[in-house]
Amino acid sequence: MAALPLYFAAGIGPARASMSGGFDRLLDSVVRIDVSELNIEEGARRIDASIGSGVILSQDGLILTNAHVAGPKAVEINVTLSNLERVGARLIGWDHWTDLSLLRINLDDAKRRGLTFKHAEFGDSDKLYVGETVYAVGTPHGLTRTVTRGIISNNNRYFEDTEGVDGYETGNFNTWLQTDAAINPGNSGGPLVTEDGRVVGITSRAYLGANNLGFAIPSSTAKKVVVGLVHDGSITRSYIGIEPKALQDLEGFYDVATNTGMLIESVESDSPAATAGLRAGDVILSIDGKKIDGRFPEQLPPIQNLVASEPVGSPMVLTYKRAAREETVTLVTAKLESRMGEEWVSDTWGIGLRKVSRAYARENQLTDDTGVLVIGVQSGFPAEVAGLARGDIITKINQNPVGSLDVVKAVDAAYAAKPAATLFEVQRERRVSLVVLKP
Amino acid sequence: MTRLALFLAAAACLTGSRARAADLPALWTDRVKCTVAVEYVTQTELERRPTIAYGTVVDSAGTIILPSASIDLRVSPKQMRDFKVYLPGDPEGSPADYLGRDAFTGWHFVRASPSILGRLVPVTAFVRPGPTREPELAALVWGIGLRNKDEDFTPYILQSHIALIQSLPQRTAIAQQEVSGPGLPVFDGDGYFVGIGASSFGQTFLEFSGSDRGGSPIMLVNLEESSAFLVSGEVLPYIGRVPHNAFGRPLAWLGAYGLEPMDREVAAFLKLQSQSGAVVSEVLEGSPAEKAGLKARDIILGVDGKPLPRFRPDRVVVDYVERLIAERVPGDTMTLSILRGSDRMELRTVLEDEPRMVREADRTYFERIGFTAREFVYGDAIARHARTDALTGVVAHLVKPNSPADLAGLRPDDWIKEIDGDEVQDFASAVEKLSAIEQDSHRTETVFLVSRGSDTAVLRIKLR
Repeated sequence: MAALPLYFAAGIGPARASMSGGFDRLLDSVVRIDVSELNIEEGARRIDASIGSGVILSQDGLILTNAHVAGPKAVEINVTLSNLERVGARLIGWDHWTDLSLLRINLDDAKRRGLTFKHAEFGDSDKLYVGETVYAVGTPHGLTRTVTRGIISNNNRYFEDTEGVDGYETGNFNTWLQTDAAINPGNSGGPLVTEDGRVVGITSRAYLGANNLGFAIPSSTAKKVVVGLVHDGSITRSYIGIEPKALQDLEGFYDVATNTGMLIESVESDSPAATAGLRAGDVILSIDGKKIDGRFPEQLPPIQNLVASEPVGSPMVLTYKRAAREETVTLVTAKLESRMGEEWVSDTWGIGLRKVSRAYARENQLTDDTGVLVIGVQSGFPAEVAGLARGDIITKINQNPVGSLDVVKAVDAAYAAKPAATLFEVQRERRVSLVVLKP
Repeated sequence: MTRLALFLAAAACLTGSRARAADLPALWTDRVKCTVAVEYVTQTELERRPTIAYGTVVDSAGTIILPSASIDLRVSPKQMRDFKVYLPGDPEGSPADYLGRDAFTGWHFVRASPSILGRLVPVTAFVRPGPTREPELAALVWGIGLRNKDEDFTPYILQSHIALIQSLPQRTAIAQQEVSGPGLPVFDGDGYFVGIGASSFGQTFLEFSGSDRGGSPIMLVNLEESSAFLVSGEVLPYIGRVPHNAFGRPLAWLGAYGLEPMDREVAAFLKLQSQSGAVVSEVLEGSPAEKAGLKARDIILGVDGKPLPRFRPDRVVVDYVERLIAERVPGDTMTLSILRGSDRMELRTVLEDEPRMVREADRTYFERIGFTAREFVYGDAIARHARTDALTGVVAHLVKPNSPADLAGLRPDDWIKEIDGDEVQDFASAVEKLSAIEQDSHRTETVFLVSRGSDTAVLRIKLR
């Protein structure tokens, strides 16, 4: 008896060649992406290979994928089309804040070889309902053109991504789509689609070891990022330097009406907000006259996106509440910058370096952004022999301040031409020491 | 001739040792009386933790010195309770008083109760008459170890020969094997006092296992016995430095933070040849160093006209400078010879009493909220890159696991700047406010604004 329903189930429904024309088209637009990346590890250059997924967006060969699949460190990108042909691609731009990258297929090569492909269409992620069937298409564990099915488990997931993209920050500028369609490593960058084959999300994260907890960037966000990346290769955002917190039940404490205001949890030093006198514990009531409701965490990303979407350098009027008083300030937005600085490796000294950025200096309470950070040393090379280690900040070389990587490169070139003892001033935690690098 | 002389010398040596070895049991019985075990309890809000250390009796008043490492400096003397002295082999302890820590030697001083004075003999009774002599290389030395509490601290003998004497910066003899318990005395073959056991050095061994047949290096440290000891010349002149109080105040303070050794290669690069030096990482706000015009990144090359000596390893020079400061008292002057860029200059500093330390800070535990508030002191401001002229706020010293404070996300070392929206001015006002919150049974929550690194957080603490 127990076998009966199964027997019937197997026979239910007409056998179909495919789900829909749109879905077929989508399948022909999903690609596997093979990336060779140049990394600096332990003071040496290293090429790492990785596999991800992507979706072709236009007949001129634009491919949308994740920033953690292909970024500026990529030295070679190859995509495998649905007809299994491989063709080269290059990076058009990336936006690590939303974990999205845009590539373009080498069209000359494709044309010469007579390769054809189709492109996908975006759907509207705002119209997704919880329980709606969705499909993830990609290359899990290198298994090209794998389709998995699930539903939208949550269409407005607040999710603080602490992982970032290779050390670059991701931001809370959108909420995420959560799905139970199986997502595995290699699915990253592939599309999450509805039954008609429209792209409603870009699959990006999953809890490893959990049962089908996958997350995708909604198409409403992806569409805007694509436009920006096509236009100038990057997305410029405004920054005011506040970290928000949902008010959630603190309305009584701060004496504001329910569904009003967003709490400031932290204000970054030297930021526009700090300069304007904003403090942690202030409650922002409106931005440029628009009333703010940050009662729940899910409501914070749109507010942060509102701030980020302002043109850099534009005035922003904030009304906020501190104790019993309501105040209004006007601040000028600055450009949102990453904590990651330019990286470089010296083959003579066997050392990997990264410029100290303003954001890094602020996070680590350094006096300013002078210096370069040691990100690795190669065993047995002059830097390691002299005692330099990962995490040290080189502030001076031969008693000259290190304001940029160029200063280091110049000394390195001179050293390579004619090796001579070189004095480094190094800051480790808060301790300053002097070391000599010599041939 | 040379061969014969050597042979004779060796023979003399052998007979010497044999004669002395025969006396050891007699020497031993007397000398065990200058050793004790000291037990104390560290009592925090959540637990009582006993600690045992070994000490040497240094005078007829029953004063005992314990090595620096026997007490964790993060523990406040107010938390150290129930000091007890145990005589070797005797299971009954007697109460004792903690007198404090001397900053120069690092020793902790304890005084035994008068009731056992008759059973103690100070180590000074075994000092060789005449000028203090450093023991010689290869000389036979022996010392005392004490077994654990469950064996009634039974004394036992250790014996070895001196392998090396180093300046670290104190003259430290290193024997071929373990020669005493740390903090316990070492004697020569004649039974004269030659030094006190120091913390032992780590020794590197290769560990092999079924999965790692190549062996991986591990470092082992023997906590119960040591092969290193401070020679008597580093001990006897300072046994009178009994602190006036538990914190060892007054404490001479310069305010040159993070001294880092200048190594030989750097000295050569700066054309300082055989000179030793210490780089100043930071000059603390309001300190004597700042008042004298010392700047971060200055290199100290000498003190009071004397160049800093070279040590092996280079880093010992830092302890050397710190000891030069610690042996003085507030009000003393100290002239620093420094190198700034390519300029040499002399700076005259007048040492001051060190600002209130974390160990001295007041603390109060709040059971309902579940944390200990600690006074915010000078060192807290330095650690947080904060201004030192206005010491506001309090520090979360301890957060009780699963308490309302813990569940709200309060972490040890959080700097609490506001309570319920009011700025915390000082410790007293914070305690007053927190006590009122704890006593108000209608209260369901309190809100802290805390600073943590470069961030702040608003914590809503739900009270039960």
